[in-house]
Amino acid sequence: MIFVAVGTQFPFDRLIENMNEWAANNDEEVIAQIADGEYIPQNIKWERFLDAKQYNQHIKDASVFVSHAGMGNIISARHHNTPIIVMNRQFELGEHRNNHQADGVTWMAKLSGVYAAPTQAELYTLLCDTSALQVVSNNDTDNLDKLTNFLSGYIETGRID
Amino acid sequence: MIKKTKILAISSSGGHWIQLNKICNQLEDQFDVIYATPGAQYESAKEGGRKVYAITDASADSKLNLIPVTLQIISILIRERPNTIITTGAAPGVMAILLCKLLPIKTIWVDSIANVKVLSRSGRMVKNHANIVVTQWQDLSDDKNIFYRGSVL
Repeated sequence: MIFVAVGTQFPFDRLIENMNEWAANNDEEVIAQIADGEYIPQNIKWERFLDAKQYNQHIKDASVFVSHAGMGNIISARHHNTPIIVMNRQFELGEHRNNHQADGVTWMAKLSGVYAAPTQAELYTLLCDTSALQVVSNNDTDNLDKLTNFLSGYIETGRID
Repeated sequence: MIKKTKILAISSSGGHWIQLNKICNQLEDQFDVIYATPGAQYESAKEGGRKVYAITDASADSKLNLIPVTLQIISILIRERPNTIITTGAAPGVMAILLCKLLPIKTIWVDSIANVKVLSRSGRMVKNHANIVVTQWQDLSDDKNIFYRGSVL
């Protein structure tokens, strides 16, 4: 199963249209969370919003997670060791209030198991061979430990070390 | 038993909330952490017996909602009297920081990891108001007003 999610803030019809078209030509179950999109896909199962429990279950069950370039989804995908393909919203197409998703996608794609697909062609290429999408399980919490140690020190002492 | 320092962790939903959780799950050992976030993830957020206040969802696109959010934050501050607030953004975090500026409450802004090239718009809004602003990108740190000390990933 491929899980597709566009987040809760904005619709992302371009991604849903792309996945609907892909599903028409491929024998693979696709489930999508489409938010307030105007476009209603015909070839995939969809919900506008899902509760957090169901959302996480889909991420866990999916062979591939196709998502907008939202940080939360990337963190969740890594948590469940599910490979994630991200398509960024484009400010130029009126898909977000600014272009930070385009900036973000560049470094996100450097993470293990995160693949960037800014365009339909790139998305379809990645979906051609989903078995090639791999997550190297990442239990490295050095950066997070560094951040939380710093914050707890600051909370305790008010000093910036 | 020594009473743990109380922290109010507040953010909007989605990626902001997930980042806040990653940070605060680790702080829970050391501090008494209470949470405030828009209702969407409320049920799951409470898992593990955490104390979570539901607040109204507000964003740059729904400025009117800043009024109920502000009142809700005031009510939480009165009830809980936290020592410190920590936020990963966006709009509810801005309101919390501005309110706490008037109070003897330490304020921490952790800018979302999604902001790679420039500090988020809300981060820039609170830059001169929060006690400390933390970026998750080395390049955005000036080590005077904006600090980099690791990230959630």
